[in-house]
Formats: sequence, structure tokens, C-alpha cells
Amino acid sequence: MLAFVKRFSLKRTKHPRGYEDPQVLASETPFTVNEIEALHNLFKKLSTSIINDGLIHKEEFLLALFRNSSMQNLFADRVFYMFDRKRNGVIEFGEFVRSLSIFHPHTPEHEKSSFMFKLYDLDGTGFIQRHELKKMVGALLSETDLGLSEESIEAIVEQTMIEVDTNKDGKIDEEEWKELVAKNPSILKNMTLPYLKEVTLAFPSFVLDSEVDD
Amino acid sequence: MPEIQIVSDNSNTNALFGKYELGKLLGCGAFAKVFHARDLRTGQSVAIKILNKKKLLLTNPALANNIKREISIMRRLSHPNIVRLHEVMATKTKIFFAMEFVKGGELFNKISKHGRLSEDLSRRYFQQLISAVGYCHARGVYHRDLKPENLLIDENGSLKVSDFGLSALTDQIRPDGFLHTLCGTPAYVAPEILSKKGYEGAKVDVWSCGVVLFVLAAGYLPFNDPNMMSMYKKIYKGEYRCPKWMSQDLKRFISRLLDINPETRITVDEIVKDPWFVKGGFKPIKFHDEIDLKGGGGGEVEGVKSLNAFDLISFSSGLDLSGLFAGCSESERFLSEKLAEEVEEFAKEENLKVKKEEYGFEMEGQNGNFMIEIYISRLNDLLAVVEARRRGGDAGCYKEMWNNRLRVKLTSVCDQTPIATI
Repeated sequence: MLAFVKRFSLKRTKHPRGYEDPQVLASETPFTVNEIEALHNLFKKLSTSIINDGLIHKEEFLLALFRNSSMQNLFADRVFYMFDRKRNGVIEFGEFVRSLSIFHPHTPEHEKSSFMFKLYDLDGTGFIQRHELKKMVGALLSETDLGLSEESIEAIVEQTMIEVDTNKDGKIDEEEWKELVAKNPSILKNMTLPYLKEVTLAFPSFVLDSEVDD
Repeated sequence: MPEIQIVSDNSNTNALFGKYELGKLLGCGAFAKVFHARDLRTGQSVAIKILNKKKLLLTNPALANNIKREISIMRRLSHPNIVRLHEVMATKTKIFFAMEFVKGGELFNKISKHGRLSEDLSRRYFQQLISAVGYCHARGVYHRDLKPENLLIDENGSLKVSDFGLSALTDQIRPDGFLHTLCGTPAYVAPEILSKKGYEGAKVDVWSCGVVLFVLAAGYLPFNDPNMMSMYKKIYKGEYRCPKWMSQDLKRFISRLLDINPETRITVDEIVKDPWFVKGGFKPIKFHDEIDLKGGGGGEVEGVKSLNAFDLISFSSGLDLSGLFAGCSESERFLSEKLAEEVEEFAKEENLKVKKEEYGFEMEGQNGNFMIEIYISRLNDLLAVVEARRRGGDAGCYKEMWNNRLRVKLTSVCDQTPIATI
């Protein structure tokens, strides 16, 4: 009887495409195996909200962030792109965990800083160029009902370029970015999610079906 | 600990999950063992409660349904007199709770060793107990199983209640329908539970607090009998005798706590106003999250931070991933010319508690039913960013307060300047 149950449960633990062994993920990230099991719970919820295939599609990501699967948001698009490390249009479980690990409170600041730089480097040139910065300020303002004039946007961008682009080549390189972050660490505030330290309490159902051996 | 097999990581072969170094056994119950342990990363002492899943599921099949709820409840409780739950862990066969370690041990060991406490010391512990119980009741959480082994004393002599919210996990409700305590006595159980009527968690907790107070001040149980049926009968009839050294005032107070009729039994709100309870000067109990109210006055807006384009961008809701952890947080930012005075004025009108911070405010509703953090930063001469964040408490109350009141207030006061919601 017991053996039968065991075989049944083995069958049940067959995981969808993109699933990775929590042990392996735990060895590569600040998360424990249990925390990864808890994150898998969250992942299951996110990845089945629209299409039940165990992968997070863009619409599912937007739905989770905005309660609206067709939300237009440049920054959410960029975050999704950064999470989708294989660039195949979906976030697999391993990608989800590895990307979230950068947001862990214990992850060193330079990893967070570098992630954010790449996220803002819209064209992937290795620089945040002036037109990219302007596009992002515009995108942020369009999230608001605030109709700022072209000139005021230009003024905000100009002021920031003067402050950050210290070698005056019209674009922000990674060194200049690091200096800015050192001066103004609050720019990285979105890169730390305190909840990640509490995932076992936030998604505790793993305690019943944990696969960690005694 | 022969049967506790330790899950280990390559880095530390003797540590639980490579994280906690298990020490000596602190306590042992029907389903659980509690060990002292050390968090290897921080050096901090913790208590690890280890439950055997199979045993637990056999005696309490409802566990699977309850466990999520119970842990979420524990997670929300943050109070100086409640033992904090840090994290949960699990293997195939066991569940581990990493909790705040309370150094001094069980309150009732103290009494069995040194006898009854003075009335003043009894009052001090009882005030702390009521502070914890009231805090939980204000959040709709009931202990339902307050008993000696759940009351601990830390090294500063403060009382800590353990297992709030975890009652279903350590549930002693047996097939006979009775609540049994681990030591096999129903001595702390309210009469309405014994009579198998429906009961209210708040009333039941007050009764148990009454029994605790009696034991503290008298040194023995109010209802006790070697014969279980006789003990039930005494509880049911509310038959107890106060020792002659007890003050009249305390006798009267205890009779209000140990009122067998839950309808007329004293409530927590009445307890904190009772003359015996407040005697000797007692600062009002806070049933809400700890907030320091110092430096509340002073209207001037000191140092509003100036922002560059990257600060501005970082306010995008698309960059705030806390939404993925639905229900964990809600926040909203908007651009406005609104500044501090309006926030403070609003708080006054709505009777909220406000704590001023460097660039913002923290506000809290009565009973701690919600908490809002407001941050104000200046973008340029015309615009400021106002950010509101729910810090805790009830999401509904927060939304009500923010969307329908504060936000309206802040946006309406300055209709001549542009306002934008992000």
C-alpha cells in the first residue's frame, strides 16, 4: 500500500518544461531549498493565471504587476526582458528564481546595480544614452496624468546628464552609473524586495509537500 | 535527539538546512519538540519547533487546510509581548518553525519554584498578557489555548506569549471534542467550551487570562481536582475560592474575568480601564504596531530631497515587483505640490497617529487596523512626488483611507497645480 502511494506521488512530481531542481537553484542563489519550494508556489500561481503551461507569459506578468494583462508599461517590459534570460518570450522557473535572487536583501549591491544598468540600457549598447533617458522619463510621465511640456522633460534630462555624465560624451557608461549609485543608493530601491526574506511565511504550503530528504 | 535527523548542506555538516546549529532540547510535547538553535549567519539565538507531519496529520487531518492560514496569521503579528515567527522550513516528514528565542523560560516554572507572585508583579505580567491578547483580538486573531507553557519570560523580565495563531497546529482538540492541554488538564478552559456550545474566541481568551492571573497571584489553580469530571463541574459552575491574602479589589477583578456567562464577562476594553488593572500608573496599552510618537509636532518641512531623472524613473509602478507577491504591499505615488502641512492636518482630522520621518510620515489608524507611510520628495520648484505605501494592517481600511480621503484631500487642496497619479 505504502509503495503504491509512493509511486503515485513520484508520478505526480513530474514537472513542466523549465522546472529546475530546487537543490541546484539553492546552490546558485541566496535562497534555501525551502525558500525555492515556496517560490515555486508563487511561480505556479503566476504561470497558470492565463495559460496553464507552467511558464510565465508577458500577459501573466503584467496581470500580476498591474491586475491588467494588457497594460502598456516600458519598465515592466524591460523587467520581463531581463527575467527572460534565454530570450524566448517566457519566464521559466529557473529564470524566475535566478532573477529574483538579485532582489534578495543579501545580494551584493554591485549585482543589483549592474542589473539596473542593463535594464535602463534600452538598446543594449552598453551605455545609457541621452535619448534612452528621455524616453524613460517620458514613459514614467505617461504613467501619470501629468502633461509636462517637452521643455520641462528636456530640462529634467539635461540636469541629470550634467550631474551624471562626468566625461561629457553624451552618454552614461557603467563607471558613471556606479558613481551615481554610490552617491545616491536610493536609485536602487526597487532592486531589493524585503519579502524575499519572508517567502516561507508568505507561501507556506510547501511545508506539506516538501521534497527535502530528512 | 536521536530521532531528529539533521538536514545538512555541504558548507556546514551539522546545521539544520545549513543555517541553524541545533542546541539543547528546550521542551517536548505530544507532537512537537523545541530546540535551542543558533542562526549561523547572524549568531542570533532562535527556538526551533519541530513537528512530525505524519503524527500531526493522523491526529489532526484538518492540518492541511489550516496550516497556510495559521502561518499567515503568525506572520502578521509583531508585538513586544508575542513570540515572533521568523521562518518555516520543512522536509518530507517534518515541519520546522524558527521562532524568537525567549531566554528566561516558562513563567509558571517561576511560580512552581518560588511560589506565588506579589500583586504588583502579577499585575505587571497580566498587563503584558492583555497587551498581547488585545493586539491580536484587534486583528481578529484569537489564541484559544492560552496556558502556562505558552507564557514565557525573557531576560528583561518581559512576558512573551508563544503559539498565537498556531493553535490549530498544536491543537489539543481530541475526538471527544474537549480541549486538552499538554499537561492533561483543562484547567484553563472556559466553561462555554466544556458545555460544547458555540463560543467566541475573544471571550474564551479573557477567561484563560483570568485563570492565569489567579495562578500568578494565588500560586495555585482556581479550578482543580484529581477527578476530571469534578474539575469540569467546578469550571462549569465557576466554583473557586480566593486565598485570604488577596486584596478585595483583585478578588472583584478576578470575579469579572472568571464570569461563567460569556455575555457578561469583562471584555478587553473594560479590562484596561479597570481600577485594579491600571493601579500604580500604567501607560495606555497599544494594541497596534509599535510606533514611536516622539517629535510629532513641528510643522516645518525639513530637507525635502531633490530628485534627478533616475529617481523619477524609479517611481514607475513597472519597476515595483512587490506586486508579484500579491497582498504583501500596496503603494501609490503621485506627483503633486502637496506638502507636509496637509498631511499633518489630515491626520489630525481623522484622528490618526503620525510619526514624522526624514522625508515623510507614517500614519496609523486606531487599533492599528492599517498603516500608511507617506513620502514626499521634491522634483523641481513646482513638483513634489508623494508616495503612499501600506505598511501593515487591513488592506480594505488602507484603501478606504487612502483613496477616498487622504488622496482626495491632497489632490484637492492644490487644484491650481498639476497632479498626477502613478
